Amino acid sequence: MSGSEVSRPLWHRLLVNRFTIVLASIALVVAIWNAYIALHDHGVVEGRVVDAAGQPVEGATVVLWVLDFTTFVEKTRAITDVDGRFVIHGNDSHNIQIEAEKIGVGRARRVPVRLYFKAEDVRLPSPLVLAGSG
Amino acid sequence: MHRYPRWPIHLALLAASFAMLVPFYWVLKTSVSGENIFAYPPSVMPKAPHLFYYVDVWYYIPFARYFLNSVVVSAIAVAANVVLNAMAGYALTRHFAGKGVVLMLFLSCMMVPFQATIIPAYLITGKLGLLDSYLGLALPQCSTIVCIFVFKASFEAVPQSLIDAACIDGLSEWGIIWRMMIPLAKAAVATNVILSFIWSWNNFLWPLIVTRSADMQTLPLGLARFLSYQEDTTGALYAFCIMVLAPGILLFLLAQKEFIEGLTSGAIKA
Repeated sequence: MSGSEVSRPLWHRLLVNRFTIVLASIALVVAIWNAYIALHDHGVVEGRVVDAAGQPVEGATVVLWVLDFTTFVEKTRAITDVDGRFVIHGNDSHNIQIEAEKIGVGRARRVPVRLYFKAEDVRLPSPLVLAGSG
Repeated sequence: MHRYPRWPIHLALLAASFAMLVPFYWVLKTSVSGENIFAYPPSVMPKAPHLFYYVDVWYYIPFARYFLNSVVVSAIAVAANVVLNAMAGYALTRHFAGKGVVLMLFLSCMMVPFQATIIPAYLITGKLGLLDSYLGLALPQCSTIVCIFVFKASFEAVPQSLIDAACIDGLSEWGIIWRMMIPLAKAAVATNVILSFIWSWNNFLWPLIVTRSADMQTLPLGLARFLSYQEDTTGALYAFCIMVLAPGILLFLLAQKEFIEGLTSGAIKA
């Protein structure tokens, strides 16, 4: 024990050392991460559906698939509005796939979406594009 | 001034460090990229790295529960090691009849593998009613002979005159250990903490035998369970390995100075 360590009071030595600082830092990061999760885990998936020309598609059916252990199973569906937007509620998974279809317009390939925690609120960065005969 | 050039030694040390760190880097790289380790040609840098394999591990198995179990069991093992080994180490620095026999017994017991004593250990734990409990999981690791000798070497470095002065001042044997020896043996304490933590943290066989419910399993058992669930999980498997290894590496990095001092204190004793 060095002279400078002895001169410091006990509470200071217990609080200001590399063990306490590292563990406290980890605890702080975990607390912040949990607070972020608590504010963003409503299970909302948002996005848009467009046709091959990039025009919004109204009335398209959007299907949410969630990972069930090893396979994906259908969880719920939603219908797009006049702007081609959809909002799906009730996602409780961290590994999902989104699929869209409208008869007469086409079908969008299933898009895998990875989330950082279960039920994370997410907005798809790019729209689902319906293509093919439908 | 050195008589010989030092660069060949540094070069050899660099090569050895590289050889030891490459596997760690490879595990870390695979955990964030999921690239098949058998891919040819191998890529040095991860392609499109992400953290989703860590998320998969967190949710595929009850990781938090296993982590808590490992932390509790390791904490019990570490606390017991420091207390019991310090007492045993101090006793071995004193003179008593049959000390040589005790030392020989300790040294010979080090040669008996744990697998050979696992059945009596299981029966004793069962008789104590500690199966499937945290204490039962930690029990066989509550004292280790290597760590006793680490304390013994450290305590022997304390001058006898200091101990005699403490006795004259009225300090009991108990007080000598906890108020005089332990503060002077921080390196031995750190060595005990690190070794007992890593041995307890990585233990697989004993938890496999002594646990009955899934809720009492520790991380190494979780890894085995994870492997049995998932077949094609290169990235997630390596992410799991990183998550299991991280606490031990962190503890070692935090206490490496004291750890090395503790291991070498007996070797450099005057």
